[in-house]
Amino acid sequence: MSESAIRCEGLTRHYGDVIALQDLNLSVPYGSIFGFLGRNGAGKTTTMRLLVGLGHPTAGRAWIAGVETTNADSFAREKFGYLPQDPAFYSWMTPREYLDYAGRLFEMPAADRKARIEEMLELVGLQDAARRKIGGFSGGMHQRLGIAQALLHRPPVLLLDEPTSSLDPAGRHEVLDLLDRLRGDVTVFFSTHILADVERICDTIAIIHKGQLLLVAGRDELRERYPLNTAVLELDAASPPWSEAFVATLQAEPWITGVTQDQVVLRIVVNDVARARQALLPLVLQQGVVLTRYEWVRPTLEEIFLKVSA
Amino acid sequence: MVVFAYSISILLMIFTPVMLAVLLRRRFSVPWFLFLVGVATFIGSQIVHLPLNEWLGDIGLLPAADSQAGPLLWRTALILGLSAGLCEELARTVGYALLRHFRRFEDGVMLGVGHGGIEAMVFGGVQLAASITSLLALQGTDLTTLNLSADQMTALTRQLENLDRSLLWAALPWLERCFAMVIHVILSLLVWRAFAQHKAWYVPLAIVYHAAIDGIVGYIGMQTQSVALSYGMMLLLMAPGLIWVWRVWRKEAGPRPVAASLRAEWRSFVAATRKELLQQWRTKRVIVVAAVFAFIGLFSPLAAKFTPEIIRSVPGAEQFADLIPTPTIADVMTQYVKNLTQFGFMIAILLGMGAIAGEKEKGTAALILSKPMPRWAFVCSKFTAQTLIYIGGFLIAAVCTLYYTWFLFGPVNAGAFLFGNLLLLAWFMTFVAVTLVGSALTRSVGAAAGVGLGGAILLMLAGNLPLFGSMMPGALVAWASQLGLGTSSDPVTANGGAVAMALVIIVICVLGAMAAFERQEL
Repeated sequence: MSESAIRCEGLTRHYGDVIALQDLNLSVPYGSIFGFLGRNGAGKTTTMRLLVGLGHPTAGRAWIAGVETTNADSFAREKFGYLPQDPAFYSWMTPREYLDYAGRLFEMPAADRKARIEEMLELVGLQDAARRKIGGFSGGMHQRLGIAQALLHRPPVLLLDEPTSSLDPAGRHEVLDLLDRLRGDVTVFFSTHILADVERICDTIAIIHKGQLLLVAGRDELRERYPLNTAVLELDAASPPWSEAFVATLQAEPWITGVTQDQVVLRIVVNDVARARQALLPLVLQQGVVLTRYEWVRPTLEEIFLKVSA
Repeated sequence: MVVFAYSISILLMIFTPVMLAVLLRRRFSVPWFLFLVGVATFIGSQIVHLPLNEWLGDIGLLPAADSQAGPLLWRTALILGLSAGLCEELARTVGYALLRHFRRFEDGVMLGVGHGGIEAMVFGGVQLAASITSLLALQGTDLTTLNLSADQMTALTRQLENLDRSLLWAALPWLERCFAMVIHVILSLLVWRAFAQHKAWYVPLAIVYHAAIDGIVGYIGMQTQSVALSYGMMLLLMAPGLIWVWRVWRKEAGPRPVAASLRAEWRSFVAATRKELLQQWRTKRVIVVAAVFAFIGLFSPLAAKFTPEIIRSVPGAEQFADLIPTPTIADVMTQYVKNLTQFGFMIAILLGMGAIAGEKEKGTAALILSKPMPRWAFVCSKFTAQTLIYIGGFLIAAVCTLYYTWFLFGPVNAGAFLFGNLLLLAWFMTFVAVTLVGSALTRSVGAAAGVGLGGAILLMLAGNLPLFGSMMPGALVAWASQLGLGTSSDPVTANGGAVAMALVIIVICVLGAMAAFERQEL
């Protein structure tokens, strides 16, 4: 078995003058849940399509489970399951028929195929809809069927392109739970722009921006890497609210880099922690507000992401 | 047996290049696209080469086609060799100049196989098929009744004698085409070397080598009838090229990538074909095809029989009915061919246009091709399923027509009619294949219909091409019409060339669809 579940070497894709992906070198360890983060248009889907062989790289190569996937051979596709951003199915088929077709392509023996199809339908909660035409499915049902078809042949690597973007909160929760249960058995490479999903289940995170890989790190390591530079201030219920003028004053301070307000909570990111520790509280107290919380914390993944991809 | 042996030889000439290309594709991951570029360089070279030879004849450097006396044979052979070398090697040079990213040894081999392959298909398979059907028609004929010169009579007699020789003689044209393909690969690699090593002198070397082989072998062919001498000389002339290729191959051949097993790929194709047939059934296309073909089958004899009576029943039109001759079985066939060629052609485009483009447009192709399904299997399964459905359609139409014609007009020759339907099916499938190319090239069903329609029109116009027009698929309709329902005593002119040409067009279109689809991102 090779050392990495997914490996890219100099993977590049240009569309004319547009650089969709530039010199991506990446190694995803076996068994990890790898979050591939980026804004819209960052190059996440391009990377996915190159990895699964649906796109042709301008330069570079990629391997999944030790088999090259960028040479247009279908052989490597047994090594992974893939769910595109908007999975499209044959609307005239039932989910059971679609999974059967997919199983045949993976040369699964008939008995195993049949049992596995039922297992997958149960896993994604489509048993009751197994006889219905896919054409009548909702977006969430499509997504669940997409996950079932990706897992059907028990691949060692799963590539999911924005798997939760079209799901409602309950659906998102179910899918994330499902992926969490796969931890250790299957390597999940999962692109998204929903930071909460990444924070919840990914153990390794990569951030891509404008086709360039900006960082790769373990989730905890990444947060450790950033100092305690964020002050959280939460008002007591009896306190007067934060005034707009006060927020504007804070934003004008040279040692403050960002202020975000969520009702009674202010998150203040600073670039000079020593000065902030001295100056911030007196400023707050001048407002005559009552605090229930004053804490110095590390930045959230969202803040790191915004900072890195700024 | 003669027909069988030569049919095998013709099929080998058409499919040997395809098999070689399959081998290259599987063993070395050489894109199908390069085979098509090889085909294009050959066609491009002939667009210049054929008129050039005609012009050389006009200015007296080559004997004109209808002239008995010509300049010295060696000079003719040399000029013919040089004109072929110049046109074909320069066309190859243009091909390599345009293909900046294909500089592997194996890429050069594939270009050579494509170039030599289409030559084997057209100048080998199609022309042999045309010659054999003509010769078979002449067997037993008193040749003196034909208005032939002494030279023509001698050549014809010799060709007819060859038909009576050992069946192994049928393999000789195929063998010759295999030698020619090897030579084309050598020449292609010489031109490839010019680009890969930036040494332009390889191009004139290729031209001279080509001219030398064509000239010497052509001269021997004009001087002697010895097959052994001609083939031996070809081998002798190939030898230095082969030794050079062997040495270059040992230095330049790239690593062999790991490919999926043929069995696995075949199973994908079977699974995809099964899905296609199920789709045709579920989306009611099978019923549409069956209904249209049944209508054509039933309508043709009914229309032939009752048109005069219908006209007679229209008040005021009675006098026109008397002008219409009494309907015969021949009218049934006229109606049948007319209906099939008009409606069938539209069906081929309407039902085929979305085959690949529709899946690209909806996104279903991307998901299914992320599984171990090779793109060739995806394309070929579409064509296979359509072929099977149209075979069914033609059977329905034929059975309906046979039954009603027998019922309304009397006994018919079912064998002749079914053979005629086979010819019409071959004609029809060329349009299906052209539409498949349109569907592979474009990303929307509408655009695919446009490309398919344009291709179909070109195919119909190709019937007017000089030299090859009579061998285009349109000639199959004429042959089928002559066969009719087997009740006419008029002689029927067989046209094996048109059958082979239809097969070549279908093969090239399917390969073209595969080549185009293989290069696309999904």
